[in-house]
Amino acid sequence: MRKIKSLSSRQLAIYGCALVLVIFAAFPFFWMISTAFKPLREIFAYPPYFFPKDSTLANFVRLFEQTRFLTYFKNSVIVSTSAVVVTMIIATAGAYSLTRFRYYGRERIASLILFTYMFAPIMIIIPFYVLIRKIGIANTHFALIMAYTAFCLPFNIWLLKAFFQSIPIVLEEAALTDGAGRIQAIIHVVFPLALPGIIATGIFTFILAWNDYIFVRILITSDELKTLSVGIADLYNATVIDWGMIMSGGMMITIPVLVFFTFIQRNLIAGWGAGAVKG
Amino acid sequence: MKISSQKTGIMLIMPSVFVICALLVYPVSYGIWLSFFRKHSFFPEQNFVGLANYVYLLKDPDFWMSLRYGTIYSFSTISLQIIIGIIAALILHESFRGRNFVRGIVLFPYMIPTVVAILLWKWLLNSEFGLINYFLRTIGIAKEPISWIGKDHIMTSLILISVWEFFPFVVLSVLGRLQTIPPDLYEAAKVDGAGAFSRFIHITLPQLRNVLFVVILLRSIWMFTKFDTVWLLTQGGGAEKYIRTLPVYAYMRTFMYYQAGLGSTLAVIMFGILIAFAAIYFKMFRREEGI
Repeated sequence: MRKIKSLSSRQLAIYGCALVLVIFAAFPFFWMISTAFKPLREIFAYPPYFFPKDSTLANFVRLFEQTRFLTYFKNSVIVSTSAVVVTMIIATAGAYSLTRFRYYGRERIASLILFTYMFAPIMIIIPFYVLIRKIGIANTHFALIMAYTAFCLPFNIWLLKAFFQSIPIVLEEAALTDGAGRIQAIIHVVFPLALPGIIATGIFTFILAWNDYIFVRILITSDELKTLSVGIADLYNATVIDWGMIMSGGMMITIPVLVFFTFIQRNLIAGWGAGAVKG
Repeated sequence: MKISSQKTGIMLIMPSVFVICALLVYPVSYGIWLSFFRKHSFFPEQNFVGLANYVYLLKDPDFWMSLRYGTIYSFSTISLQIIIGIIAALILHESFRGRNFVRGIVLFPYMIPTVVAILLWKWLLNSEFGLINYFLRTIGIAKEPISWIGKDHIMTSLILISVWEFFPFVVLSVLGRLQTIPPDLYEAAKVDGAGAFSRFIHITLPQLRNVLFVVILLRSIWMFTKFDTVWLLTQGGGAEKYIRTLPVYAYMRTFMYYQAGLGSTLAVIMFGILIAFAAIYFKMFRREEGI
């Protein structure tokens, strides 16, 4: 334990590097927030101000009044939450089965899942769209939820599988010999231990669905069904680009992600390594 | 476990298998099938044309252009992500006050919606009012405002933005592995008089080999098929031609020219290139001790 009194040159260098890293990663966010609170004349001021002088909520007011921000927000919440619920139910059952049972074809199913994890959205979406149109459910939230469930499932199972594997099977066997049924063993033994993993996986799925652009762009055509990412992206296509409004919208769509992210940050760095995230 | 539980196991995996087959394997196979048809994206009409789509693309200069742009884009973004990611992970592995906070901040760019990443960089890179141009002009590097999303610089901007958005993935993976390298390895090397650089080359890098193997594979797949970052940057700049990578080209063929057959063919070609790449990559770099 070294005390602060004498920072060695090595430590100074580390702090310097860390500072550069923070500026590189975070400065664009700072600029977004700063712009979001600036009145119009300050946004286009030259030389620019780093901090807003007369901070204002006018950009946010315009965002709520002139766009369908609240509708997009509601749609994003509906679609992302449904995708999380559906995916998590299917994936938890699947991952539990892959780690706790032995049956013919299990390994083959596991490799199939890993293989489909490599499918990129652009490879899925073209035939998916043609099929969705064929059965006549294009332009519905249902189609979108289906797409997210399919897209997130492989990586979800893969993550949860790792969590279940880290729970010693002996614990369940002990519960089973004590006369508990399998359901009871799951509810009282496995579930509480796997809960952090399940929550983290759920949050990842949520972020993935919340951030998605391509599936919404293609599957949804009517404005009242659009989600936030497409809604905000379309603000840029106006004839006069309202940077203040765009930055305030960007802030609003980012906040939920960062709040959720802060919850799982600790697990994340505790050593999940590759495969914990997708994109 | 007990044999009688076989049935339960199969029942539990069934929904996953069903969803993956119905919503992933089937559409992707259907896409391969579509690549042999001339098919309108909206209307049901379709004609079997055999390999005509493939032949058409091989003669299509736009296809070769997008393959070229896609390769340049993937190669440069992946190399830069790996280099910056490893450096950042090494810094974040050192102990200093506020380390957890900095670790969290560094992961931000990866977590935010791509739409936001693109919009805030478009604002920073705006040629008239953007902060970057202001900065470059103030310190005297640029005399005239640089048109960052104009045709000369759009590829540079795209690479910069993508590296910024995706390098945290490398940080996360490498940092996870760094934490499991036994410290005595370094102690022994120090006793032997190895400097910091030589310790990195002879201890850290070999230990990172397996994680880098996976990271490079995944990043290659995802950068080569990256659609949203590229597509969103092309909006409204007038220079979309100069960063039209394969995924963007596939999208345009399908949803702007309504040629779902050709779009599917492009997706299949992308898939084929990735499989070929993965096969060569595994042959060259995979070691026997499992990944």
